[in-house]
Amino acid sequence: MIMYKRIFGSGVKFLLRYKLQSFFMILGVMTGVVLLSLTFAMGLGTERQISSKVKDFFGSDNIFIMAGKSIQKGGPRAKGQVTTLKIADLEAILNAVPGVVSFDPVQALPECEIISGGRNISTDVLGRSAEGEAIWNRTVTSGEYFTKADEKSAARVALLGPKIARQLFGDADPVGAQIRIGNVLFMVKGVLEEKGTDPHGNDLDLEVIVPITTLMSRLTNVDYISSAKLEVDGTKTGETTDIISVVLKERHSINEGESDDFLIITPVQVQEMMQKMNKIFSLYLPLISGVVLILGGIIISVVMLMSVSRRFSEIGLRKTVGASSNNLLFQFLTEAVLISLVGGITGLIVGLSGIWFLFAKLGYAFFIPWQTIVFGVLLPVLIGIIAGIIPARKAASLDPVKALA
Amino acid sequence: MIQLKNISKVYGKTGSQQVTALDHVSLTINKGEFVAIIGTSGSGKTTMMNILGMLDRPTSGEYYFENREVSTLTENERAAIRSKKLGFVFQKFHLLPKTTAVENVELPLIYTDIKDIRHLATEALNKVGLSDRIKHRSNELSSGQQQRVAIARALVNSPELILGDEPTGNLDTKTGLEVVGILQELNKSGKTVILITHQQNIAEHANRIIRIRDGRIAEDRLVENRRNAATEQMNLALVDQ
Repeated sequence: MIMYKRIFGSGVKFLLRYKLQSFFMILGVMTGVVLLSLTFAMGLGTERQISSKVKDFFGSDNIFIMAGKSIQKGGPRAKGQVTTLKIADLEAILNAVPGVVSFDPVQALPECEIISGGRNISTDVLGRSAEGEAIWNRTVTSGEYFTKADEKSAARVALLGPKIARQLFGDADPVGAQIRIGNVLFMVKGVLEEKGTDPHGNDLDLEVIVPITTLMSRLTNVDYISSAKLEVDGTKTGETTDIISVVLKERHSINEGESDDFLIITPVQVQEMMQKMNKIFSLYLPLISGVVLILGGIIISVVMLMSVSRRFSEIGLRKTVGASSNNLLFQFLTEAVLISLVGGITGLIVGLSGIWFLFAKLGYAFFIPWQTIVFGVLLPVLIGIIAGIIPARKAASLDPVKALA
Repeated sequence: MIQLKNISKVYGKTGSQQVTALDHVSLTINKGEFVAIIGTSGSGKTTMMNILGMLDRPTSGEYYFENREVSTLTENERAAIRSKKLGFVFQKFHLLPKTTAVENVELPLIYTDIKDIRHLATEALNKVGLSDRIKHRSNELSSGQQQRVAIARALVNSPELILGDEPTGNLDTKTGLEVVGILQELNKSGKTVILITHQQNIAEHANRIIRIRDGRIAEDRLVENRRNAATEQMNLALVDQ
């Protein structure tokens, strides 16, 4: 035992004696570990951020019905080319399908001109029902949400996203003010709470929301909607989805074998989508960084091989004075593991500070993924052993007679 | 202590490429002897040294070290014997660069389970008169001091046998005498010493000279007027004055 302790100590001394050589080996592993922990944590952090947004946007007790089939999956706004989805369909679903609690129809008017006083902004106007407040989990910070009555009477009231309110009115309270959407005059009824961007990168704080009925009759002049978000009993979404599908097929007279003119998106599908996305973040990016780490191992291997050649006479001497092949094997492996461990731990420190810095910039909550500890400690040990084995064996098998000649 | 029986060493594969470095050499060395093995370069004396030091195996023949056949032992077993019983001094010193004297002397003890090796290494340095150079690095020492560190390293494991391979070859006359003096002292204290050299005057410090020529023992005799390194050093000092 004391012998191995001493061999270990002499390895440490050697590495300190040849600082430049040690530095390069450490640098190789360190770079790999820094990149690995950075990409991994970035992936994990982004993933967390996105899933929390997706959850906010699409909970486990929500179902989306979208008009048309060819629309991008999960897209919140469709262009409305498919004209068969009506509010009446949703009312029928609410009445006929058990488990459906409420619905919020959505119709959008993209790139619409909003004018107030001398200011003019172009943004997306969304039509929603009074239920939207609960279903989208978004209320107002000043004024109030529009009511069922507003919806019934197609009242010309609008809710402004916080950024729109700021751009049009500055710091003044816009509630009660008049704005023009397209050619129609509206009264600002409230300012929506801040939500940031949705998972697709759309800025929700730039939205203007009006009652769906108002949008359909006064702005777009259509009788169809592009999509609807339903609140359902979360325990049997599968069953509910099937019944909704049957109801819609019947109402739209779609026979067996014909393709649907609607698309139902359930939490299960969203989860699958998320998992695919997560793979990119948590698998492929770290894989690339892992290659860098392997490069670090190769650097150790090559530098140590050169070092063994340079230390020819030293190794011969050690053997002559009684070091066994196993002693030398142990000594060289120790050196390799030690180097990569130092590289790993410094890499981990640098990587974690980098993560901390990046997360602070991006506004993510800081956390230390346990995997980075594995990358920073266990992986380098493994790489040290693998990288060290060739040089160590070469050293151990050296003939002292030739080495000392 | 040492018995060689019909030891041969042949280098190269079969055919005309073959070189016979040792040709059926038989030899007995007793405990407490100071033997000089002398010969010109290419005579086979280095091969002899490597075989005696268990660094190389003979092609044929038997080598008994303390009544144990060692030429057939595994490499690790021979390493263990070197670690406990042998001490080596080389022509080129072979000290570790950038390393202090005491750390160099500790080297053979690193691969043992002996405790407090720093103490033993310091004692060995005291014996060779380097107690004031313990923390000096190899490159900060003169060549004579470096060779004395190497002798301390050979001593530190209290070996039965000290093997010197041209230990004075890289030293001037005065420092060479210092080194031979230390070897004589060690022999006096009971160590067996085998000294390989090509210098007749150095060999005459031993009590027995074995001359090797073309891989065979050409001469094996006791030294009658043995030189004493300590006296020679004093004489040298007088001449200098």
